[in-house]
Amino acid sequence: MEKNIMEKKTLLIVDDVDINRDILGDIFEEQYCILEAENGDEAIKKLDAYKEEIALVLLDLQMPKKNGLDVLRYMNETNLIRIIPVIMITGEATVESDVKAYELGASDIIYKPFEPAIVIRRALNIIELYEHRIHLEKKLEKRTAQLKESQEKLEKNNEFLINALSSVVEFRSLESGEHIKRVKTFTGILLYHLQKMYPEYGITDEQRKLIVNASALHDIGKIAISDDILLKPGKLTREEFEIMKTHSVKGCEILEMFKQEENEFYKYCYDICRYHHERYDGKGYPDNLVGEDIPIWAQIVSIVDVYDALVSKRVYKTPYAVEEAERMILAGECGTFSPKIIDCFEAAKFELFQLTEGKFSFLENS
Amino acid sequence: MELRAIYESMNGDYDSVINRLRDEERIKKYLLKFLNYHYDELIQNALNDRDYEIAFREAHNLKGICANLNLDALGVAASELTEALRGRNPEGDISYLVEAMKMNYDKTALALNALTEE
Repeated sequence: MEKNIMEKKTLLIVDDVDINRDILGDIFEEQYCILEAENGDEAIKKLDAYKEEIALVLLDLQMPKKNGLDVLRYMNETNLIRIIPVIMITGEATVESDVKAYELGASDIIYKPFEPAIVIRRALNIIELYEHRIHLEKKLEKRTAQLKESQEKLEKNNEFLINALSSVVEFRSLESGEHIKRVKTFTGILLYHLQKMYPEYGITDEQRKLIVNASALHDIGKIAISDDILLKPGKLTREEFEIMKTHSVKGCEILEMFKQEENEFYKYCYDICRYHHERYDGKGYPDNLVGEDIPIWAQIVSIVDVYDALVSKRVYKTPYAVEEAERMILAGECGTFSPKIIDCFEAAKFELFQLTEGKFSFLENS
Repeated sequence: MELRAIYESMNGDYDSVINRLRDEERIKKYLLKFLNYHYDELIQNALNDRDYEIAFREAHNLKGICANLNLDALGVAASELTEALRGRNPEGDISYLVEAMKMNYDKTALALNALTEE
């Protein structure tokens, strides 16, 4: 700060008549370093070379080789007008050129003959105004960056907690926690294709992130299913299956204890938990929703859950090959899905297959 | 010759110029520089060449300098000529405006010559 007080600010005076430059230069030379340009071209060169130093431009309108308005246009194109204020100094008042100059970002217009004391005061006011604004903008930028950083930290913490919570259920099922990771990854991939192919659903990148996190909690209700059913190695009886089916509603009961009205993330968690076993033809559970009454995020998690169950090793089955899993889904052997969801699945399948056979391979476990 | 007397002989406004620019030496410096430019010739030559762009610009510049230095009479003539040339293609006869400008210019130059003799 002290350095600034010591250092003189720099003024660029642009006028094709040197007497006019002299008069302005003499007015300002005590308080400012003076740069001069005698036409628009030269002004632009000086602006480029000294843009860090120049605190104000005093600009004539009528000049050869690019006039004052051309200089203003250049300053707009290069955004210099945001950081360097301009006062037009003109011999006449024509509404047309004045309006144009203001439109192009000139801060003020001073007519000849000018009163030096007033020119000095206006120059100082405008320089201070710009400095103040730039200072505020920098402060805001810094604050925004801090906010973004803490938000990212919060998001990370949230994700960690959700992952930990959802893994509790999986570990109880004597599984490794990998199912949650896969469901999240596959959900993300399918949503990405849905965004591209069916923008009418209006899913944003931000929403995709929330839905991916919410998908981790889809089976949280299984915590309420007793071990003899949850861990049974063979096929479930009809009664046992009916109990097993309650996990979607049980999950919602848990979530409802921490209900957050108007919270988007809560809505995704709730919908996915409750509706990920609904079917497009209305033969799913718990509410027998039909077609697009099933929220699109629940439809996505539903097909992902089915696909992952098919290609995974479970206590009661060995994994299917990816092509076989695809065939079964397309043939409607594992539920019915909307044609749009099937489209997304088809578009995403090679990514899913690659991940299933690569990063998420079960071969070493089977 | 005193600057006030010089201003009076060329129908300028000494009080205004000294009020604004404060320093006589500076004002003299500007006036001597002004004399070197021969605006009357610059404008006449451009008109002879039918280069109305330059004629307008020089008339406009002359008008601006006159305003800054309070050379009022010449300023009025320069201003009228500037307006006649603003469209870059004067309609009708502007020779009387050119003559008025030159007459005032000569008067001004004559008065300012006193500065060069100092």
